[in-house]
Amino acid sequence: MLMTSDLRVGTVFKSGKDVVVVQRMLGNKGGRGGVVVKMRVKNLLTGSTADLGLDSGEKFEEVMLDQHKMRLSFIDGDNYVFMDQESFEQYELTKEDLGDNAQYITPEDDFDVEITFYEGKPVGVVLPISIERTITYCEPGIKGDTSGKSTKPATLDSGCVVQVPLFCDIGTRIRLDTRDGTFQERVK
Amino acid sequence: MTIDALCRVVDNYGDIGVVYRLARALSALPDPPRLRLVVDDLSAFSLLEPAVDPALPVQSLRGWTVLDWAGPDASGSPHGSRARSYADAYADGPPRVVLECFACGRPDWLEEVLFDDSRYRDAGGAVATRTIVNLEYLSAEAYPDEFHRLPSLTRSSSVRKHMFMPGFTPATGGLILDREFVEAVRLAAEPGPRRALRAAIAGGLGLSADPDRFWALLFGYERDYGPIVDDLAALSRSTPMVVFAAAGKSRPCVEAAWERAGRPFELVRLPFINQRDWDRLLAAMDFSLVRGEDSLSRAALAGRPFLWHAYPQGGDQSLKVRGLVERMRPFFGPDDFEPLEAAFEAVNDRIDDSPTVRGSERVSAMLEPSAGVRAGFAAFSERLLNNGDLAANLMTFLRGLV
Repeated sequence: MLMTSDLRVGTVFKSGKDVVVVQRMLGNKGGRGGVVVKMRVKNLLTGSTADLGLDSGEKFEEVMLDQHKMRLSFIDGDNYVFMDQESFEQYELTKEDLGDNAQYITPEDDFDVEITFYEGKPVGVVLPISIERTITYCEPGIKGDTSGKSTKPATLDSGCVVQVPLFCDIGTRIRLDTRDGTFQERVK
Repeated sequence: MTIDALCRVVDNYGDIGVVYRLARALSALPDPPRLRLVVDDLSAFSLLEPAVDPALPVQSLRGWTVLDWAGPDASGSPHGSRARSYADAYADGPPRVVLECFACGRPDWLEEVLFDDSRYRDAGGAVATRTIVNLEYLSAEAYPDEFHRLPSLTRSSSVRKHMFMPGFTPATGGLILDREFVEAVRLAAEPGPRRALRAAIAGGLGLSADPDRFWALLFGYERDYGPIVDDLAALSRSTPMVVFAAAGKSRPCVEAAWERAGRPFELVRLPFINQRDWDRLLAAMDFSLVRGEDSLSRAALAGRPFLWHAYPQGGDQSLKVRGLVERMRPFFGPDDFEPLEAAFEAVNDRIDDSPTVRGSERVSAMLEPSAGVRAGFAAFSERLLNNGDLAANLMTFLRGLV
């Protein structure tokens, strides 16, 4: 069974008869009663999407889907084409299918991803938990501040904006947690 | 409508205090729901409401049925009187509407029933939908506005769930405006009734506290209360004063600071008091330092200067405090608000609590409030009252769902 804390973008689970995939994590708040999470999910049976609030108390049945290791071949507008590394077949997913993960991907990426299939169709992507990205814009770095407690927004080569420590600069290579977009470390 | 309100006591009495308050507020509504309160710590409940018998697994109270969370089989005798009591409590059918307070989860025995469609199937084979609402903790941060009334999920299509967020804005469920407390606030707003209210409180608690003095209440976590006692002492040189030290972690710290300062004012050591008396006392204060979300909501509604000592969360409490400060800011002029903001931040700037934690908080601006400060707290209270009663808002929401 999956707890709320196990859910991440690309996770597919059952709620009653419905099969849903997490598309976006829209925020979470922790407190004494546990975490409450806001997320956007897509119902794979009806195609509808909904924003939900989940507390930490519920458990869900994980849907065991086919998963295939693939790599990005190319991006064509809002379509992302991945290639199966064993069969060399190509599969196309939309930006919507990728959900939040789309913001971390660039056409040059060569890391492996897991593509999940439901009834023969690709429905989601699970990225590696940790990936490397390059900062393309941020305010100038402040030397000496290595605490990481103070942060500033930075635009990455994939186009998304994340919070990074003040010592980061344009061109800094960073490691990012794809589950929540948090800065992990500077890549030296 | 019958509501099963579930409560687990995590620490102290905040959780059960809110549930008890909410139950009273729901019951005071026109066309009130029937209530079953399922509580995991009846001893804690009995301290707030002495009529609760901690030894009874199923009991009646104020027209509600109060049940021990442990359930019908807890004694190991499923066919015994305990099981019969639970069966009687659900004689009108299995639960349809469950109010999970603070994501407390559900007891196994209730979970088993709630997710068993066969118990909800009518003669025609249709399965009735069950509804769970998770009532979350109070926070003044921005997220309750976003999370309020959001649909949620359970593992069953027959059991739907929603979030319900208390809060400080009209976009949330608001605060509980229980009649007794609101009445006490109304009485405390006028000098004559206030004096009578204070005399009644002191008489009821067996305290010799002069109702005409300045009344201050200190109910926080462990810390060095020296700076606050110093400011109280300074005022006490011109204004006769009674300071109430609430039972709990802060009392020895307050006493120590008071002793160090040379006992500069009258200090009343409060025993643990029930919710009704606590509410009346809080409403009657000129200044209060409070902890916990429930007492925060009462202090804010009281419309008098207050300071909130937030539960320490390794420094993360600063987000909650910042949220509250930003909710309050529009009701004060910049000059009036600056010392208030500084006090809220200083008293909450710590990683953990201990009797030696000392901050730079100064509370003189709340002890001798300017007209602007006085009006600001009153206006903040008025706004919260205008957001409506959480109990009424909750019932409106539930009736829309069920």
